[in-house]
Order: sequence, then C-alpha cells, then structure tokens
Amino acid sequence: MTVIDTAVIDTAVPTQQTAVPRPASGDGPGAALLRTVTERSAGLPEVDPGRVAAAALRGRSAAADYAELRGLAMEAAAALIAEDPQYSRLAARLLAEEVREEAAGQGAICFAASIAVGHREGLVGDATAAFVAEHADALDAVVDPAADDRFEYFGLRTLYSRYLLRHPITRQVIETPQHFMLRVASGLQVGGDTASVAEVASLYALMSRLEYLPSSPTLFNSGTRHPQMSSCYLLDSPLDELDSIYSRYAQIARLSKHAGGIGLSYSRIRSRGSLIRGTNGQSNGIVPFLRTLDSSVAAVNQGGRRKGAACVYLETWHADIEEFLELRDNTGEEARRTHNLNLAHWIPDEFMRRVDADTQWSLFSPGDVPELVDLWGAEFDAAYAKAEAAGLAIRTVPARTLYARMMRTLAQTGNGWMTFKDASNRAANQTALPGRTVHSSNLCTEILEVTDDSETAVCNLGSVNLGAHLGADGEMDWERLDATVRTAVMFLDRVVDINFYPTPEAGASNARWRPVGLGVMGLQDVFFKLRLDFDSAEARALSTRISERIMLAAYETSADLAERLGRHVAYGETRAARGQLHIDHFQVEPTWPERWDALRTRIAETGLRNSLLLAIAPTATIASIAGVYECIEPQVSNLFKRETLSGEFLQVNPYLVADLKARGLWNAETRESLRAANGSALEIPGLPADLASLYRTAWELPQRALIDLAAARMPYLDQSQSLNLFLASPTIGKLSSMYAYAWKVGLKTTYYLRSRPATRIARAAAAPAIPVATPVSTPVAVEDESVIACSLENPESCEACQ
Amino acid sequence: MTTTPATENLQTFEKRLLDPGFELTLRPMRYPDFYEHYRNAIKNTWTVEEVDLVSDVADLPKLSPDERHLLGRLVAFFATGDSIVSNNLVLTLYKHINSPEARLYLSRQLFEEAVHVQFYLTLLDTYLPDPEDRNAAFAAVENIPSIREKAQFCFRWMDQVEKLDSLQTKADRRRFLLNLICFAACIEGLFFYGAFAYVYWFRSRGLLHGLATGTNWVFRDESMHMDFAFQVVDTVRAEEPDLWDEELGEQVTAMLEEAVEAELQFARDLCGEGLPGMNTDSMREYLQCVADQRLARLGLPVRYGSENPFGFMELQGVQELTNFFERRVSAYQVAVEGSVSFDDDF
Repeated sequence: MTVIDTAVIDTAVPTQQTAVPRPASGDGPGAALLRTVTERSAGLPEVDPGRVAAAALRGRSAAADYAELRGLAMEAAAALIAEDPQYSRLAARLLAEEVREEAAGQGAICFAASIAVGHREGLVGDATAAFVAEHADALDAVVDPAADDRFEYFGLRTLYSRYLLRHPITRQVIETPQHFMLRVASGLQVGGDTASVAEVASLYALMSRLEYLPSSPTLFNSGTRHPQMSSCYLLDSPLDELDSIYSRYAQIARLSKHAGGIGLSYSRIRSRGSLIRGTNGQSNGIVPFLRTLDSSVAAVNQGGRRKGAACVYLETWHADIEEFLELRDNTGEEARRTHNLNLAHWIPDEFMRRVDADTQWSLFSPGDVPELVDLWGAEFDAAYAKAEAAGLAIRTVPARTLYARMMRTLAQTGNGWMTFKDASNRAANQTALPGRTVHSSNLCTEILEVTDDSETAVCNLGSVNLGAHLGADGEMDWERLDATVRTAVMFLDRVVDINFYPTPEAGASNARWRPVGLGVMGLQDVFFKLRLDFDSAEARALSTRISERIMLAAYETSADLAERLGRHVAYGETRAARGQLHIDHFQVEPTWPERWDALRTRIAETGLRNSLLLAIAPTATIASIAGVYECIEPQVSNLFKRETLSGEFLQVNPYLVADLKARGLWNAETRESLRAANGSALEIPGLPADLASLYRTAWELPQRALIDLAAARMPYLDQSQSLNLFLASPTIGKLSSMYAYAWKVGLKTTYYLRSRPATRIARAAAAPAIPVATPVSTPVAVEDESVIACSLENPESCEACQ
Repeated sequence: MTTTPATENLQTFEKRLLDPGFELTLRPMRYPDFYEHYRNAIKNTWTVEEVDLVSDVADLPKLSPDERHLLGRLVAFFATGDSIVSNNLVLTLYKHINSPEARLYLSRQLFEEAVHVQFYLTLLDTYLPDPEDRNAAFAAVENIPSIREKAQFCFRWMDQVEKLDSLQTKADRRRFLLNLICFAACIEGLFFYGAFAYVYWFRSRGLLHGLATGTNWVFRDESMHMDFAFQVVDTVRAEEPDLWDEELGEQVTAMLEEAVEAELQFARDLCGEGLPGMNTDSMREYLQCVADQRLARLGLPVRYGSENPFGFMELQGVQELTNFFERRVSAYQVAVEGSVSFDDDF
C-alpha cells in the first residue's frame, strides 16, 4: 500500500483540525483506517466506526492507498446516512480532510495563499488579489477554524465538486470551503481599508455559519476576473423582425455563458401563417425560432459547471399557443420540439375570467395587435375587446378547451408554468409610468421586472437560512433576522456595481433600477423545530410575519443606503416615489404598524437605493449547501436521494429520526417502512398521531395550504416566489381547480407542477426474505365496477399494495 | 389489488392463460391487471432524444484503462442484450400467452425493448466514434468469451421452446414457464441488474451521467417487464396448480444458480483485479442477493442469504429530487384524464 507524502501535507493542513493520523509503518491497512474513522467519529455516538471501516476494506482494489481507503470509508458512511443522520457528519469530516489536503497540495495553505494561487493562475481578479494581499494577516485571522464541521455531507460534496475554484491544468481545488466563502465576501468589498475588512468579516461570518448564502452565480464568480454574479436575466420579446430575433440569440448566449438563467418573452413574434411583406411569403410562426433557441441554449455550457437554461414566456392570446404547448412533448415531430427550454404562460386575467364563464377566447397574431404586449389590467381588457370587435382574431377557441390543454401539458411535462400578467404588473413598483410593463418572469418565476428592447432586467439573489434564526428560547430571533437582512441587502446592492454585465442592455437596466432579490430557505426547518404543521394557521401566521419582518428590514436598509450612496437613478419612475408601497396593494393588517409608518416617513425623505428587494428563489443548490429544506417548500419526502452532477446521495429527515429515537421507534422495521412507502412516514407502525401530522410530505399536504401560505406572504414580496405544487396523480379536474384558486387568491406566479412516476423501479436488492403470498392476477367479473374503478383511478396505490 | 372469490368465476377458468389460440375478446375482461400494466407502461414513455450524452463524452478521456475496459465490455453487452429479449418476446411469449390484454402489454414491452436497443445504439455511436470499434462492439456476442457465455445461456432456454407451436401438454407448459422465468428472473432480472450496478457505480464516482439517466428509464421499464412476467407465472399457477411441482422449483433454482455463475464470469472479465468500490467479490454478493429476491418472489426458498454490498444500488428505489439546472426530471406521467372543473379537491 502506498502512503502519500505526509511531510508535505501535515504541515500544509491548517491548524483547524488535528493532524491526520497516518498509518504507521507495519500497521495493517485495516487498523490504520479504523483508527482514522474512529477519530473522525468523535462526538457522533450513533456512528459505528468498525462498520464503516469494514465496508471500505471490502470495496478496496488491489492497489488501494490511504486516499482510496478514506474515499471508500466516506462512501460507506454516506451509504449509512439513511440509518442514522450522524453518518452524514462523519462522511463530511472525511471529505473536508480530503479537500483541505488537495487544496494544500496546490499551495493553498491559508486564505491569502489561496488567493495568491488563484490570481497567479488567472482566476482571481486583480482588485480582490490586491485587497487580500494588503490585508493578508487580518483576513487570515477571520477564517473560522471550526466552520467546516457545520457541513453535512451533501452540502460539502456539492461545494467541492462544483463551487471551489480549480487549478486550470491540474483540476485540483485551490481553495478550501472557508477560503471560498471568504473569497466570495472579499470580492464584494469596496474601499479597500480596514473598515472594509470588518464588513467582509461580517458577511463571511453569516456565510460560514450558514445563516445566509448568496446565490450560485455570486458564489461561483465573486472575486474572480469575470464577476458575473447575477442569477437572473429577463429579456423582452424580440421585435417581430429577423435581425432582432437573431440578436437575441447572441445576447442570450453571452448571458448564459456567465451562469445567468434566462427568462424571455416571445409574445411579439407573429404567428404561423402571417404574411411576410418582404418576401410575400407566410411565416412559420414562433416554433422554428424557439427550436434554434433550444439548440443555442444547450450549446452554451456555463463555465463547465452547468448547462444553460432558459424559460420562454408566451401570452395566452398568441395564435401559436397550441404548438407552444406541445414543445416539450416527447412524441411527435422532433423539428417542433424544444427539450431544453422551459415554458411558461403569461396569462391575462381576462383569460381566466372567460375560463370561469365558459366563453370563447380569441387568438391573435401579434402583428395585428402589437399594442397588447405592452398593456395590462383594464387597458389590456379594453384593447383585447376592441381587437375582437374589429374581427382581428385569427380564430377563437372555447377558453376551457385551451385551459384544459394547458393543464394537460403541466401534468405531462411539469412545464408550461402558470404566471399571471395582471397580478404581476398591478403591484409592481416599476410600472408607475404608462408603457412600463413587466413582460415575463424569469427562469424560476420569482423575478418580476420591467423590460424593453433596450433594457434587459437583471437580478442578483441571496437567501436567508430561516432555520438558523431561531433563538435559544426556540422562538424566531427577530433582531438577529433584522441584522442578517441588513448585511445581506448591503452586499446584494454592491453586486449591482461590481457585477460584470455580459451585455450592454443588462448593464443599462441595472444601473437604473438596482433591483435585488432577497429570499429565504429552510422554512420547513422552522416548522419542524417549532412543531408546526405546514397547513396550520400558526404556521401560516409565522410564515407571513417572517416575510413582513424581512421586507421591513430590507426596505429600511435600502433607505439607509439611499441616504449614504444615493437613490437609484429611476427612483422617480417608481410607485414608491409616489408614496405607494407594495403592501398598499393588499388588504392586510401588518404586525408592526409603527415600524411601517416610520419606514414610510423615512422613504419619503431618503428615497430607495433599490427599486425591488425581495424574491423567493428555489435555492436548490444553496439549500443543500446549508443543509436545510428548500426555500418555502414543504419536505418532498422523509427519505430521498439527491441526484446531482456529483453523484447520488441519500437523505433522511433528521427531525423525524430524532423524534422517532426519542420515542423508541427508530429501528430497522421503521426504516423499511419508510422506504417501502416511498418516504412517507404515515405507514410507520405505531407512529403517534402528532408525528404523522407533522411529518406529512408535500404529496400528503393539501395543496390549498401551500397556495394559502403563498398568498398570505404575497403582500410582503415585491417580486414573487418560486412556488412548486405537488399532485401525485394529477387529473384535469384537480389541476384546473387548483390553478383557478391560485389565480383567485392573487398569486403572481407559480412554478413547476410536480407529479410522481407512473410506476416505480423494483428494489434492486431489498432484504431477501419477501413474503411468498404474492397477489395473483385473478380473473374478475366485469360487473364489479368498484374494483375496477379502484385500480383505474389510482394506479399508484395499487402499485403500492403489491 | 383485487381478488374475487374463485367460486364466482368457475366458468371463466374453463379458458386458461396458456391454452393454445389467439383469444380476441377484451370484454368482459378476464385479466384487468394485465391491462393496467399496459396502461401504466404508457405513462412511462420516454425517448432516446431526451437523454443528454454530452457530459459523458467529456468524461470518457478521464477514465482509467481499467474503467475503460469495464465500460467497453458493458456497452458491448448492452448492445445485444435487449435484442435477445425482443426476439424471445416475439417468438415465444406473444405466441403462447393467450390473452388479448396480456398481448397489449407485450406489444408495449416490445416497443420499450426497441427504445432500449436504440438507446444503446446511440450510446455506442456516441462513445465509439471509430466505425471499426463499433462493429467490434456489436460482434461481441461472437468475439468476447464472457459475453458469448451469457448469450449462450439465453439461447439455450430459447431453443427449448422455439419448436413448440402450441402448449398442448403439461410438459410443454412447464418448458414455457421455464423460458418465461429465465427471461424475467435471469436475463432481465439478473444480467441486466448486474449491468445496472456497473452504471450506477460509475455515477457514484460522478461519471457518465447520460448513461445513468437513460439507464434509470431502462431500469424502470425492466422492473415492469419483470413484474408482468411474474404475474403471468402467478396466474398460471393459480389456474393450473399441478404444473408447479417440486422438480420445477428445483429447475428454477438451478437455472438461477447457473445465471449467477454466468454473470460472475462476466464480472471477472470486467473487474479484473478490482476497481475502487467495484470488484468480483462484491459483485458476487450483490448477484446472490438479487437472485435470492427472484427466488423469493417465485415462492422458492432463498439460496444464498447474501446482503447487498452496493450502497449506490440501495438508492435506486428512492424518490428522485432533481435540480432542473442539472438534469431532466424523469418522473413525469404521460396520460392524464378528466375535464375542467373548479371544485375538485386539491
């Protein structure tokens, strides 16, 4: 067995961990490994180091060295997470050690050294490198030696495989997770003095405690030579002409290359069959152009880290709507399919009213009604009626027929998101002046900003980890939440200035509006910790209060920033400048009315630094880094695997495990029940009613509750929220009822419809002893209707009882 | 799952599933479970175009020589495996399972096998840009001994029933059952499960995600195929209890033992001296564990009592939570029913 050169590495490892025990000469590989694993299991009483070591030894290859054994031990520990969540911590510790060694091997023996290596290799930007070099000692002292131990395995694995900077040639990491966080914070410094070091330290402290994380593009790119740190770009529809269509492709490619997600309207492009004056031919409509966009998006790889992604928005009156609905089908003519694009409907209220009234709906080619795209509310309704009266419609369809098709597409593809044009514009701060229109949302349906041909809207995001903001008394620590929001907003605002803008249209828009999107993650964690059912009135009240508090603190901060640094250029064009705040569009009784009054007065004096401040993004990856549930979402399963580019990992709900342990119910039988029930806790034998209720999954909660929670926080969100809805077996009836309700309660946007696979994969290797009494395909009398109805309407449950 | 007291249906037992003929009557439906299988299978429709192999191509140069050898053999097996299953389906199963609803399912299965063949063909064309290499991979059944041995195992059980035009005697029906079990439990249920393990082992090392994505869907399909075949066995046993005697049980057990050995010699070829996390010993335990499951499903005593050593296979039954930035969600249903309403529960 090969032993790696310990001389180099032991000195290289920062002092935050005890030195890695190395196999002494003459020690067998088994004993050495067991020693390492035992030491790394300190404080994890449920972990059995012997089991981990034995599994690692079993899988080793003939040429196994220490690094391979440690890697196998890590995988073995990860495989046991479903048995006890503490194995996740062990796996994370082993991985952290590996990462530190790898970084040290590249010269990153401290933060300043890591930055120096990154700068030498052309990755870290000059300004950040100079700042760190000047304050090297002070910044090195900021690094929290204990912080790596806060990671769960999934989070650290994600950081390691995707976020840490790598040497361009060796592909080894050149920063540890803590160097990485401090690099991100340092990339957002301004001033370069010791006060800046203190500010950087305050952001780093939030990040290293996993209390707040900026969005992925900021994590990827802050402090680098191309600091493109914004998550979202929203583009208006190309104009109805070839040059405009092709210049949009180029804009999108540039934005996508630097890790931005794209939202794009296509509502201005004439529909199929429209006359093309220049050639006297007929247009093929939007589909061929979207097909080109599809290929273009797939071709652009975001710095090798993830594929580009875009969502196309189409207004519901566009005459190509039916072909639009088929774009993601996996049958039919490939030339009319776009497998990489996400699709969303930009729906005027008038359409929903006609669905409700069961009347006809007119479809137009934008060339005939160019004004519709820029109108909303009553003006849209009037223009639409006028166009109908003028006989401009290409054709009409029953509104419900089209609505049913929209529902079917949602069920079949999860795509074709329902977003509401009028609700999105009505309360928008940026739409005070006529002609200012929100034309679409973004890739994840949480951003709502105005666009036009010369302005590409931009938003940079970050999310507060709510689960980390409970006080020692177990209640929300409101003051600490305020403090986190203040720091977060200050740095989100800085991104606007430091950001690298891939297109002039994006830079132009952001300089004027300075919107940011502060969101949340870990709401489910809060509910679990406080033992609140997701659909309870208490949960809804708390969730709403949290959103209110965040909005207050964010707006107060933006007013402070306006006082110090100036209001944003287009402030005069906003509703806020007219004394109208977002909550004024809703009938609500705030929890902190005095603070609202004070804020109102303050804004009247100072104005605002940012036109928009809040948006709840999906947080898929950063929530996994923080080890909490995603944004405002209920848990999807008590047991699930996460598939990421770094492999598959199993996750089990640690709150449930703790509760079951406390009641003596965490055993092999329970675990098998969880697996057999696909992560549902409801079938655990002897499960007390309070736990059964608390640990329902998204599939088991009434979706009405999710919508009600979302609607209740809507007054306190100046943009929107990525709201997924979950129906295990969707039907047109359920879907149409659900989305009509979402519209009625005033949601601006919804996101994916999640449904479940029609059938499941047979367990590859469950416990061998399966009962012999297998069900038999017995011929049944055809008269027995109830029997057949059961199996036809509910294939899932029938699968489950086999 | 439904059962109806047998006394109510005595007359329907006059016709039995393996009776020769081409039954056409779908109403009254005698085997609604088979029809349900057909409908569920349609909900799982996927196409090869949905699988993105771009990242795989980037991974290929990163593979070590041992990994490359393993992958080459694996792909060569996939190239022909599903075609063999298709052939048997047409030549034997479709002919003898005399129920129109079951034949609906078999038609659907045949389509799925075709998609699998197309997937592995596309995979091969993508992985092996050199036409000579491609030809060699498809010739694996002749050229590579470890694959030839598995193929011969399949052909032997096909040959035993191929000459049968109809299942007239109990001996004919037993031979048919053995063929059916061979394809469900040994080929789809063991050879393929072995191959899936290599794929997921690659993925557990962060490699070949395109292959894993397509394999996820193949895996889901194969699970259904196996489940259907076992239901056919259950049905035949219920209709003709005397067919399944001790001797047949012993034959099935022996057949699975033989299949484990055939797959093991393949594993020896693939793993050589062993790779990190994948070696012949672990593979043996895994295959034995899978074989035990098949036996248990057939109501036979388990043979090995082994435990699954592969953590990454434990993950297969668990719900997916895919970040859409990374991969397509493979979980969507295809058939949706109902009409617009505003007061459904949700």
